[in-house]
Amino acid sequence: MAIQGIDFANLSLKDALDLAILVEDEAQERYEEFATQMDQHQTPHAAQFFRYMVKNEAKHGQELQARRVQRFGDAPRSVTRAMIFDIEAPDYDAARAFMSPRKAMEAALASEVKAHAFFVSALPALKDSEVRALFEELRDEEVEHQEMVQLELAKLPPDSGLSDEDFVDEPAAQ
Amino acid sequence: MSTTGTLEYTPKDYKSDLKPIWCPGCGDFSVVQGIYRALAAIGRPPHEIAFVSGIGCSSRIPGYTTAYGFNSVHGRALPIAQGIKLANPDLLVLAAGGDGDGFSIGGGHIAHLIRRNMDITYIVMDNQIYGLTKGQLSPTSQKGRVTCTSRYGSMEEPVNPLLYVLAYGAGFVAQASPTDLVGMAATIEEAIRYPGFAFVNVQSPCVTYGEEAQQIKGLKAISESLQSLGHNPADRLAAMDLAQQYGQKMHLGVFYRNPEPPPTYGDLVKERQTLLSKDALPKERILDLFIKK
Repeated sequence: MAIQGIDFANLSLKDALDLAILVEDEAQERYEEFATQMDQHQTPHAAQFFRYMVKNEAKHGQELQARRVQRFGDAPRSVTRAMIFDIEAPDYDAARAFMSPRKAMEAALASEVKAHAFFVSALPALKDSEVRALFEELRDEEVEHQEMVQLELAKLPPDSGLSDEDFVDEPAAQ
Repeated sequence: MSTTGTLEYTPKDYKSDLKPIWCPGCGDFSVVQGIYRALAAIGRPPHEIAFVSGIGCSSRIPGYTTAYGFNSVHGRALPIAQGIKLANPDLLVLAAGGDGDGFSIGGGHIAHLIRRNMDITYIVMDNQIYGLTKGQLSPTSQKGRVTCTSRYGSMEEPVNPLLYVLAYGAGFVAQASPTDLVGMAATIEEAIRYPGFAFVNVQSPCVTYGEEAQQIKGLKAISESLQSLGHNPADRLAAMDLAQQYGQKMHLGVFYRNPEPPPTYGDLVKERQTLLSKDALPKERILDLFIKK
């Protein structure tokens, strides 16, 4: 998780909204990548869950985008994707060959926890009251997202007891 | 000559329709993303880029881009890339592969591209293992590493890729990692912009045969940005000093950038051609050289 070149003390509401949109975009893109990886490796249930996360992230992104447009129109954006990394997106190695839906959900849950930690850690530096209110709202939403994933997790039957390591070919001498 | 005009490219413009078949979680997924971002920042259209690789998991990478791609012969990415660059100097030429491809099978080629200062960016995805062939010892595997070809632990010291290329006099040497995609994209972009041979070692974890310490969590624990250390990339000796910590520390960023890059081999060839063409016969009389009158 990294942020570069953003001065939280002087963050404007427009930049804060753009930042939040970029965070959702990044997560959406990563889940899309993971879903494709699962398709390639014949793991449809994990792919299905990652696509569910793509939809969720896209929905949140669109909601934020609508607020941004309503308030600031098409004023140019001054924050970029190059300023953020892995805020809400799962780590690249969170995907695994033949991962179970449970493992996929646990990866998403860890990402929601990570995003919550980001908003909590940024709050003390914020000076603008509107930006603070937005970050508090986003922080609380991350808790809701965690609850949503936990609900999905609770619906699952227990894992088979096999781990992804059980599907890995043994190293081979040549 | 570039034909970009005022067109702007996005990372998606460099992404092909081919779906990567790397193991899910493989570090190479982030490397290809870093390359898309770097190419978009450079802004050359895909048809002006040639991407050459050897053999191995990471060598599949040209196929995942919209650039001209050549998934070539084991260890031979660099000589092929060199041929392409000399035949069409206007192309932006990238070469990529794994640590085995670059430092074992193809190890002999690096020195020659460096001494010629070929204007090629070479990206090595260093995972310290032969992953595609299922987990044998590679040239950068740590001493003591147990694999199917080293059952009692490797008895060999690993090759240090950073020190290797610095010792041969490479003009641009950097290291990146999937732990910092933004930094990786910036580093690759800087390497491409360097006028000459540029080397980027990417610590790209093998999630299937790699060791725990070489996974993203382990790499994060030993990573340190060279910029945060106040390292001066123009100082080659300081770069060599830092490069010696390969395997213990993961320094990210530019180790060395020659502040006064020498002419590239392509420049010298052009210069020689211009010089010789002054006294050369016109094309229509070229056969006179072979015909006795």
